[in-house]
Amino acid sequence: MSRSSHSSCFIFLFLSLFLFSFPSNSFAGEIEIEGKQIAHGGNGSPGSIACMECHRLHGGGMPLIGSPRIAGQPRSYIEHEILGVREGTRYAPIMAGVVSHLSRKEIRAVASWYAHVRAPKMPDVSPPDPTLVPLGKRIAQKGLWKKNVPACVLCHGPDGRGIPPHFPYIKGQNKSYLLRQLVAFAFLKRSDDPQGLMRGIARRLSPKERQAVAEYFSSLAPPPADGLPDPKQ
Amino acid sequence: MRYPATLSLFLLVASLSLAGLPPARAGESPRPVAFTPPPDREIPAGPFGDLVRKGEKIFTHTGRYAGKYVGNDLTCESCHLDRGRKPYAAPLWGAYVSYPRFRSKNMKVSRLGERIQGCFRFSMNGTAPPLEGDTIRSIVAYSFWMAKGAPVGTPLDGTGMLRMAPPAHIPDPARGKKVYEARCALCHGADGLGTFSGGEVGFPPVWGPRSYNRGAGLAKVAKLAGFIKMNMPLSKGDSLSDRDAWDVAAYVDSQNRPADPRKKS
Repeated sequence: MSRSSHSSCFIFLFLSLFLFSFPSNSFAGEIEIEGKQIAHGGNGSPGSIACMECHRLHGGGMPLIGSPRIAGQPRSYIEHEILGVREGTRYAPIMAGVVSHLSRKEIRAVASWYAHVRAPKMPDVSPPDPTLVPLGKRIAQKGLWKKNVPACVLCHGPDGRGIPPHFPYIKGQNKSYLLRQLVAFAFLKRSDDPQGLMRGIARRLSPKERQAVAEYFSSLAPPPADGLPDPKQ
Repeated sequence: MRYPATLSLFLLVASLSLAGLPPARAGESPRPVAFTPPPDREIPAGPFGDLVRKGEKIFTHTGRYAGKYVGNDLTCESCHLDRGRKPYAAPLWGAYVSYPRFRSKNMKVSRLGERIQGCFRFSMNGTAPPLEGDTIRSIVAYSFWMAKGAPVGTPLDGTGMLRMAPPAHIPDPARGKKVYEARCALCHGADGLGTFSGGEVGFPPVWGPRSYNRGAGLAKVAKLAGFIKMNMPLSKGDSLSDRDAWDVAAYVDSQNRPADPRKKS
């Protein structure tokens, strides 16, 4: 009797340890756990900085410094971006130092971790600008075809929730990051976009239009993960 | 001494202004004129405006608002880009002033509504909505509104698709496969079956059971080549060479897709 209650108590503890350690529905595999360790503490090489110092352990990002939320982006996309930073096709001087220490396997592990985790939206630096959101919404949903700019949602999915595996979600992303990327694409600090699609589009937008698009997408809630619809209320 | 200089200046100005005029010699077809459809804010309030707005909704979310007539994963906007406004993507303003017209497809003079029925039957591999029903009526109303101010009987620049000059080589599907993999697979998938976002269509399938059938306009290599040349990849129209456009069109149209419903036994 006491022995059986002891063991069920043990099972309960064991299960709850699993259930509460990982914020998503699915259990983390070996590769995600390895990635979590790198995200948490770097890979142990001298001077290595942990991803979580800017992206948080669960990938919510830090709007104040324009560090993007990456929770639930496709693994292959995160890997591609880390490699881009390393190869210099994405201008990111701080992150370049961090990821230069990582092996190809460690990059895959940390990308798997961040693709796996879920995070709530972090408060943005300012509320959405009501003078810019309507313009941003129009460009996002209908495009600005007279400048040969298709609607953002054609490639980034309904309301910008992403089309895996190549098109990241942009809804619920922080506004500083979104604007910084549009400017980086426009002025060639970022050239890792397939076929130069984003470079062309960002260049054809005016500064005000770029800002409006950033205001609009940052005003929305992030999806649970790339390509997933909002959870039912 | 000054006279010849003035005269040559005059001649220069005269020739420049002549160059800006459309050639309107008898027997030649007139030069196409540019047309810009009205902005959205000009859709009027009231029942006509409501019909126009409904037409736009059906146009952009065909499966949601006219689902019973749609048999695949395409919408009207999959081909008629920018909500039916983009030149060389068969814009509605160009279509509106081109109908009724004689069509060799069925050897009949068709009205626009009948033409739109064809879109549902072939491009959307579905069934034709009734001519006097809400679906056709609202798409026709949307087209009519968009053609406001467009001249009738004068060719408009960007009507229909680009008519490609005949290819220098026989279009080569094997070469087209390489072009497809380099330029198209990113969005439409290496398997051509489209890509999805949470169960909704992201990028439309370009072949397979959920794409247009063999009776559709784009199932003709020349027409598809013209569409691709001017519109694909999105935001990078006119970046493929003519040869690439022909070859990739030949590749895409060589893939499996639903049969032409007129040829089904």
